[in-house]
Amino acid sequence: MSGAAIEAVSLTRRFGSFTAVDAVTFEVERGEIFGYLGANGAGKSTTIRMLTGLLAPTSGEARVAGHDVARSPESVKSSIGYMSQRFSLYLDLPVMENLLFFGGAYGLSGRALRARAEALLELTGLAEHARDTTGALPGGIRQRLALASALLHAPEIVFLDEPTAGVDPVARRAFWRLIRDLAREGTTVFVTTHYLDEAEYCRRIGLMVDGRLVALDTPAELKRAWVPERVLVARGRDLAGAAGTLAAVPGVRDVSPFGAGLHVLVEAGREAEREVAAALLRGGARDVEVEATEPSLEDVFLAVVGRGAGGEAP
Amino acid sequence: MRERLRRSLVRVGAMAAKETQHVLRDPRTLYMSLGMPVVLLFLFGYGLSFDLDRIPVAVEDRDHTEQSRSLLDALTASGELEAVAGAEAGAAEALFRRGEALAALVVPEGYADDLSNRRGTRVQLLVDGADAVVANQVLSKADALVRAEARRLLGPDLADVAPPIQVRVFTLYNPEGRSAVFMVPGLAVYLLAITAVLLTALTIAGEWERGSMEQLFASPVGRLEIVLGKLLPYLVLGILELQLVVAFGAVAFDLPIRGNGLLLFAFGAMFLVGMLGQGLLVSVVARNQLVATQAGALSALLPSLLLSGMVFPIENMPAVLQALSRVVPARYLVHALRGILLKGNGLDVLWPDLVALVVFAFAVIVLATARFQRRLA
Repeated sequence: MSGAAIEAVSLTRRFGSFTAVDAVTFEVERGEIFGYLGANGAGKSTTIRMLTGLLAPTSGEARVAGHDVARSPESVKSSIGYMSQRFSLYLDLPVMENLLFFGGAYGLSGRALRARAEALLELTGLAEHARDTTGALPGGIRQRLALASALLHAPEIVFLDEPTAGVDPVARRAFWRLIRDLAREGTTVFVTTHYLDEAEYCRRIGLMVDGRLVALDTPAELKRAWVPERVLVARGRDLAGAAGTLAAVPGVRDVSPFGAGLHVLVEAGREAEREVAAALLRGGARDVEVEATEPSLEDVFLAVVGRGAGGEAP
Repeated sequence: MRERLRRSLVRVGAMAAKETQHVLRDPRTLYMSLGMPVVLLFLFGYGLSFDLDRIPVAVEDRDHTEQSRSLLDALTASGELEAVAGAEAGAAEALFRRGEALAALVVPEGYADDLSNRRGTRVQLLVDGADAVVANQVLSKADALVRAEARRLLGPDLADVAPPIQVRVFTLYNPEGRSAVFMVPGLAVYLLAITAVLLTALTIAGEWERGSMEQLFASPVGRLEIVLGKLLPYLVLGILELQLVVAFGAVAFDLPIRGNGLLLFAFGAMFLVGMLGQGLLVSVVARNQLVATQAGALSALLPSLLLSGMVFPIENMPAVLQALSRVVPARYLVHALRGILLKGNGLDVLWPDLVALVVFAFAVIVLATARFQRRLA
């Protein structure tokens, strides 16, 4: 048994002729927050379902908490917590009943179960909602409840499949604070998301494109490797119509909308701020400001997707 | 080993407790299992009656004598047959077609003459055969009444001269021939089938639809544990329902309870396990509530209604349907309930029914558990 919490080697899953996950290989260390990124349909959920023993791999293998997912899925299930994409809570039951049920499902009972449930309510800040009907609570609270019910049996590893989908930004931030606390206490967290800002919280990130894992590293390394260009951010009014003029500016590699502004990639080492601003003004934009900025994971993601599924880090 | 068993029981208990919470919080489930049976029992018990009452009979008296009037009075005195006024010669067919009469009695001219000359006479009874059940009953009723009238006419001296063959009929167990006594045990079975199959079919299909099945599969809860945990609360509910239906039948329809009450519930419980298993099987295969409801109704309710002997006697069915009825568990419970309630039968008579129910329950649960794939896709 190796020290890694999760080990996947050439893990593959086909549905008929469609390959949802294509020979994915990676390791997740103990106590690490591992982000698994990709567009919808890129194969994130299929990977998670194989790692949690819900779906048999077509080929390749994976060990989770030291157990082989294909040969002993039951041992895997006892040592992990899983929060599926739709938080599958029982909406007609009160918060506490949901926790007691999921605790029972993992074999906890009696006073130990109740104490553990109360501790988790406290941890997730849900103590005041214990008696509320789950269906009547807002999404952010249900999401914390779903996390709490995945943690009742104190699993070594938790798998969170799109845990923050459809939750407001404040609740997302509070949720990530919980996840980081968990990791600090030694729990391994495997989380899928398509919010790139959240991925910055992860120690390492795997990027899935069309079933293949095309990039895997820390956020900082990914940025260095995939976005060697300088990133300029342009702000102002009527930018969208003027963006076309930038193609003619020497040194400009790529332009993409970013929030209300534009991200302009220019060759490394080239000072192009003034030319970019001038070109935008010529194109009809007003109040233009251009300055250099750090590349974001969104820039990385666009670079990875832009270079195609076959792309390798330069 | 003991620790594993303990954990398994904890998981079954958690499933059962959760399911109980669902039931207690859902008024529809409670109504379906405890309210609807009473309503249906009431409707069926009073509405689905084969008892003769005020059957309209067209009478045509061509004799117009004291004797002919006396015959007609004898026929209609009990109120089971009722004379329709204003019938004319040969009008019977038209009356049948319009549904104004179900039978017609023609007393021929010279009826009284024939009688007084001791020549023997004939009266004609026409019956609308479109409804075979009513036709049969009218026939036997009218026959009995005319026979009684004939015996009266023979006078005290001749009435004592016994005919060579005499049949004396005694109806045991339901002497008044009341439909309710015959129907309530069958209804109880039908209602149990509804609760068992529909409710369980809905609950598992619901877990698929909600997405919580995936969460369950990701936990160590096993297939049999899910099946048992789902089954237990509905078993309790079903037994409550059986008690309610039998008690209601006893109070509202004077349903006798001659046999052993415990035996009754043993049979009921075994039947429920089988039907709950069938509901599980349906929802394991269907995976969505709409299909599960349809399939549950088709696979359980119709056979329980049509092939159980609840309404239509199995003995009268074509051989194919008789054979088919052997795999309908309701058939065995209907037989057993009638035996226990009306005849006071014990296991010495009813054991084959219990064996059949146990075999069905075991087979269907094994099948449901086997079909229940704990992996996705």
